[in-house]
Amino acid sequence: MFLALKELKHAKLRFFMIGMILVLISWLVFILSGLGNGLSSLSASSFKKMDAEFVVFEEGSRHSMLRSVISDDMTKDLKALPNVEDAAPMGYRSAVVLKENVTSDDEKIDVSLLGIHPGSFLEPEVIEGHSLEKGKNTEVIVNDSLKNQGIHIGDTLEIEGSTEVITVVGFVKNESFNHLPAILMTMDHWRTIHFAAPGSDMGINNPVNAIMLQGKQINPDEVNQAIEGIETTTKKEAINGIPGYTAENGTIMMMLAFLMAISAVVITVFFYVLTLQKSNQFGIMKAIGASNAFLGRAVVSQVFLLAVVSIGFGILLTYGTAAILPDEMPFALDLKLVFSYAIVLLIVSVLSSLFSVRKITKIDPLQAIGRIE
Amino acid sequence: MQGIQFKNVSKFYEEGDSEFTALNNVSISVNPGEFVAVVGPSGSGKSTFLSIAGALLQPSKGNVMINGTNLKDLKSIELAKLRLEEIGFILQTSNLVPYLHVLDQLLVVKKMKGSITAEDKRYAKELLEEVGLGNKVKKYPDQLSGGERQRTAIARAFINDPNIILADEPTASLDSQRAFEIVELISKGVKSRNKAAIMVTHDERLLTYCDKVYQMLDGNLELMKKQPLTNH
Ligand SMILES: Nc1ncnc2c1ncn2[C@@H]1O[C@H](COP(=O)(O)OP(=O)(O)OP(=O)(O)O)[C@@H](O)[C@H]1O
Ligand SMILES: [Mg+2]
Repeated sequence: MFLALKELKHAKLRFFMIGMILVLISWLVFILSGLGNGLSSLSASSFKKMDAEFVVFEEGSRHSMLRSVISDDMTKDLKALPNVEDAAPMGYRSAVVLKENVTSDDEKIDVSLLGIHPGSFLEPEVIEGHSLEKGKNTEVIVNDSLKNQGIHIGDTLEIEGSTEVITVVGFVKNESFNHLPAILMTMDHWRTIHFAAPGSDMGINNPVNAIMLQGKQINPDEVNQAIEGIETTTKKEAINGIPGYTAENGTIMMMLAFLMAISAVVITVFFYVLTLQKSNQFGIMKAIGASNAFLGRAVVSQVFLLAVVSIGFGILLTYGTAAILPDEMPFALDLKLVFSYAIVLLIVSVLSSLFSVRKITKIDPLQAIGRIE
Repeated sequence: MQGIQFKNVSKFYEEGDSEFTALNNVSISVNPGEFVAVVGPSGSGKSTFLSIAGALLQPSKGNVMINGTNLKDLKSIELAKLRLEEIGFILQTSNLVPYLHVLDQLLVVKKMKGSITAEDKRYAKELLEEVGLGNKVKKYPDQLSGGERQRTAIARAFINDPNIILADEPTASLDSQRAFEIVELISKGVKSRNKAAIMVTHDERLLTYCDKVYQMLDGNLELMKKQPLTNH
């Protein structure tokens, strides 16, 4: 620390510049992580938040709600299976809704309609208004982002392409699916909308898209064997099956990985070049008795200090950015996520400095003797 | 046994098929309180000799004892510790750390050992006072003259109170007036603190400060017949 701090103070400009690079990189890392987080919750928050461990789809549907239609009659059979604690079905379709008596196209809202059984574990808690009730089929609870579109409790909405109308009775938080805010309704009403065309249910009794299972001990293979025509997956795989989710996430993860690699290279090169420049100086210090550990610690602690300060500034800037980003941006900073990326960046930085440490251990103190520089 | 002893020390360098003898069967003993000079033409092996004395280079043959410890028995980390605690180096110019001010140049040596105490600071200031830098303790190397830098290096060599002081051409980049001052300072430090000191130099005029003068010729070290004047 002694050498590290003194040198940082003495060569402020030099370290300020490398610090700036680190600030920018960490800033970008945090912004991307916020964006990734926001996008993935927009794409799948209703799935992510649900309190289930496994999802049952139709066989051959490749984990997609869109391709899967199974019968709700299975739910009770599934519940009877060993290790299954509870089971509840879900239906999904996208739709365009419009406040009743509004004709302007600008007021149309794209949404995801999710059908569930009122009172099942799939129903989220309302933050305003009241929950769904059995039998009151036209009542719906909606994601609170629709408030920005001027939707209030008590509003009646028309569904484009359907004669059905729905009434908003409650708001829920962070419920969206397939990038669209969710409207949750009773399964019965969802069916009348989704399977409005005759025969579109393919003759399946009480059709739903998927059935969610609770129970950590569930063995998906056993479930598949017990009931004909289904495939059971973990919630994680089901989330990956949501259109665009894997591609989006993959892209962002790749960018993050690149940023980590860039910061590793930048730090490695910068400190390695610095170490080469100072090799004579290190040689002299070794000659007068400095151990490799002493000099190595100086470099590592220097990188550590620089990284901590820069990443700290990066975090500040990120929260500053978050404050001015428009609400509609799918940007969700998660403190835990920010913190873990900060730690990863820090580890990457410190590991990168080890190249310089290795170089230092190879410097021969003999070079200090018999030379005029 | 205190001080530094060479017993039949040789150093060979491989040169293709043949061997080049940089040091040939050198024996010398320098006791505490003794200030010894080594002179000789360029390429005769002076720096090689000093590097071995300073535990930076292992001899090919023979034994080197520092304060009774045979350097052969030490591992590299122990050698670093021995250099830190038992040897004070005064090298040629620009051997200071550029981003440390004069006082820190001394304290960093203490830091290599562990932590810096108030007593260390007091002693460092006392040493700097002795070499005439009492009013420059907060100056950085690039703000010092060549002579002032060498004085800092002298003070640094003494900070850990080592038993051995080694100087390789400490006056190489100074004019003769400065050079006299520097060697006088080294000599004073060596005498008052009872160190065993070896200085390699080109400058014959400086030899008046030394107790014994050895000459290096093609790797052979010999005591010079003509004893220099005892110093003042
Ligand atoms: N690593 C090495 N490999 C081969 N030969 C070397 C090596 N180091 C030194 N020598 C040779 O050993 C001899 C003695 O070198 P040394 O540096 O000790 O000379 P010196 O007396 O200090 O000279 P100068 O007064 O010019 O500094 C020289 O001929 C040099 O070429
Ligand atoms: Mg030399």
